[in-house]
Amino acid sequence: MIEKERSMTAKYVVGIDLGTTNCVMAYVAIETKSPQVELLEIPQLVAASTIESRPLLPSFLYLAPEHEAASGALGVPWQREMPLAVGEYARRRGAEMPDRTVAAAKSWLCHSGVDRRQPLLPEHAPPEVAKISPVSASRRYLEHLVAAWNAQFPEARLAQQYVVLTVPASFDAAARELTREAAIAAGLPESLVFLEEPQAAVYSWLVARGDEWRRDLSAGDRLLVCDVGGGTTDLTLIDVAEAGGELELRRLAVGDHLLVGGDNMDLTLAHRVAQLFAEQGVKLDAWQSVSLWHSCRDAKEALLAADAPESHRVAVLGRGSKLIGGTVTVDVQRQLAVDLLVGGFFPKCTITDRPQRRRASGFQEIGLPYQADVAITRHLAAFLAAHADGDNRSAAPTHVLFNGGVFKAAAFRALVLDRLGEWSGADKPVRELPGPRDLDFAVARGAAFYGWTKQQGGVRIRSGAARSYYVGIETAGLAIPGAPRPLRALCVVPFGMEEGTAVDVPSNEFGLVLGEPAHFRFFSSAVRQHDRPGALLPTIDEEELAETDSLETMLEAGSDDAETYVPVKFQARITELGVFELWCVSTTSDRRWKLAFSIRDDAQEAAS
Amino acid sequence: MRVWLAMKCFFNVLLHGEFANRCELLLKDAPLAKNQASAAAPCSPAVVSASRSDAVTLLATLQREARFVDIVNESLDGYSDAQIGAAARDVLRDCGKVLARVFALRPMLEQEEGATVQVPAHYETECYRLTGDLSREPPFAGKLMHAGWQATKCDLPTWTGSGKGALVVAPAEVQLG
Repeated sequence: MIEKERSMTAKYVVGIDLGTTNCVMAYVAIETKSPQVELLEIPQLVAASTIESRPLLPSFLYLAPEHEAASGALGVPWQREMPLAVGEYARRRGAEMPDRTVAAAKSWLCHSGVDRRQPLLPEHAPPEVAKISPVSASRRYLEHLVAAWNAQFPEARLAQQYVVLTVPASFDAAARELTREAAIAAGLPESLVFLEEPQAAVYSWLVARGDEWRRDLSAGDRLLVCDVGGGTTDLTLIDVAEAGGELELRRLAVGDHLLVGGDNMDLTLAHRVAQLFAEQGVKLDAWQSVSLWHSCRDAKEALLAADAPESHRVAVLGRGSKLIGGTVTVDVQRQLAVDLLVGGFFPKCTITDRPQRRRASGFQEIGLPYQADVAITRHLAAFLAAHADGDNRSAAPTHVLFNGGVFKAAAFRALVLDRLGEWSGADKPVRELPGPRDLDFAVARGAAFYGWTKQQGGVRIRSGAARSYYVGIETAGLAIPGAPRPLRALCVVPFGMEEGTAVDVPSNEFGLVLGEPAHFRFFSSAVRQHDRPGALLPTIDEEELAETDSLETMLEAGSDDAETYVPVKFQARITELGVFELWCVSTTSDRRWKLAFSIRDDAQEAAS
Repeated sequence: MRVWLAMKCFFNVLLHGEFANRCELLLKDAPLAKNQASAAAPCSPAVVSASRSDAVTLLATLQREARFVDIVNESLDGYSDAQIGAAARDVLRDCGKVLARVFALRPMLEQEEGATVQVPAHYETECYRLTGDLSREPPFAGKLMHAGWQATKCDLPTWTGSGKGALVVAPAEVQLG
């Protein structure tokens, strides 16, 4: 009811892209027939005591020492005294002061090995720095966005608007729940809706194309959304079908969460260029290395452009005010960048190749589970092969939509298209979707447009749950001392389960003890698309099932309970807002208990 | 109170040409204020707050993002053109990024330089600078020598600091430990 009232008072749909490296906010008036999606200019600190409005808010948080914060230099228009900085200044300080700067908080949100409500970041902070949790960091970014919006729209505060927040398609239910927790704490409305980022990119393409898209795609086509951001790679397949004479889009599959992106590429190139400097007898210090990293991003885009020069000069400016005298340069050959980046990240491979599990790469940080194999093409091959139709189509896409800053380099787009063409073996080349690319802003724009179509009608992508979910059930039988009982997996949410639906999971009854916490291990799969609710997998195959945060509930005993033992079955729901819920429902009374993610316990277990 | 007023005058004289001209007239009768103003150092702690000229803010932005002030202040003696070019390439690229973001510059006229263009009868003198035979009456047709530039916006950062930092283009960088 409250949600309904809210959506009636809402004037805007607001799309928020809470990115690993940048946040973007886009909006569109609800009551319009021809949606014009605008980007919000976000005021942020760009230097001490200096505020500038920019469409990108870097997802960085700088925890300033007291003497810096007390000067008021970190103030923002809506708060004079700030103990920390969010945005461009934090990003710049991050380069100089990594121990006091939180980066990539989002990647930590889906890292189920740690308690994401505990103050963990910055990872290597000195003892005097009060660390914050990945959830709190995300909340800080969102609070900044909420304040920026409210400052510009005092008559239409964000809590009263219709807000769509994007999450990676690969985020599991626990990561989504934590994102939601951060969002609500930051002041976003309870009616907040989630949308998967690759789908948002497609919606952005749809709003840009208007009705043209029905000529761009036809029934039977298959679209790959290839989203490679700063730190993550997110893959999604969408089928084009015909229903009742109308074209329909249907999300077929999503990939696993891959921690590899453009930053890895820039660092790889920077590492090699630093060697070139060393060969000249120039040793770069830490400050120069950061500067080199930024120069290498430009070098990457220049050397992998469509008409790239044979070589590109990388300069690292002197730090002191004697700029020219302190500048060192080196010429980087195009071939070197191609060998390094194409060979490393987009190597030639066949559809049967798989990512290597060996941890071999040199740029890992302890903590986050970075991909051992940075070859995006091999991850792509594994993803497409996992979703083969069985009729030898190997999930071959006919079209590709690129998203993420990495694809500003033309060579990478061409490489992905070439590989897909080789794998499909079809006569028709795999093509990029027509229309202008909007690699940095498409997700936020698409989120706003999606919210608008939900209110006003329009083409929608049919999706539902991106993964199937399983509860771990201990097998009955004689206990063997010292050995855990073997675990089976009970499917509770089928792949594709639609929002706003519930399912009673057919199974045997489970006995739960009143007054004690009930604890279940919980698994998800992006590849087992045909398991129905109640299906019992005899073993847990780690290739197919990924364990996520476990679920628990406290079964409080009522005063008139004669029994201490309740037989229950499971009921799974996905709310209209896309929130996953699992309930234990008593088979002998009308009582029920909702299971919650027990993020803390899991982390303690992992630590011990 | 008077110190504060003097400070205000000081900054305004320094940063706003028009104010300086008006002040000059006044100063003929007020030599005392002038002395006080020049006595106050830019980092005087007596200053509570002062707004900052947009010119300093722009300069600070160009320095922060493109090292513009460093390069124009550096003596070129003793450097080869290649050395200068290596540093200048990055500085120019980054200056361009700042100007694009702050001003979104666009040529005044869209035509190619060298093309014949029309100058309307009631042209704005700020928009056109005419050379050659000026004896005729407008409208004119002439050859476009320079397409001109105009800002399509002016989104400078806002400075929120106190008076102390109003003239700071780049802070001193000090490495501790």
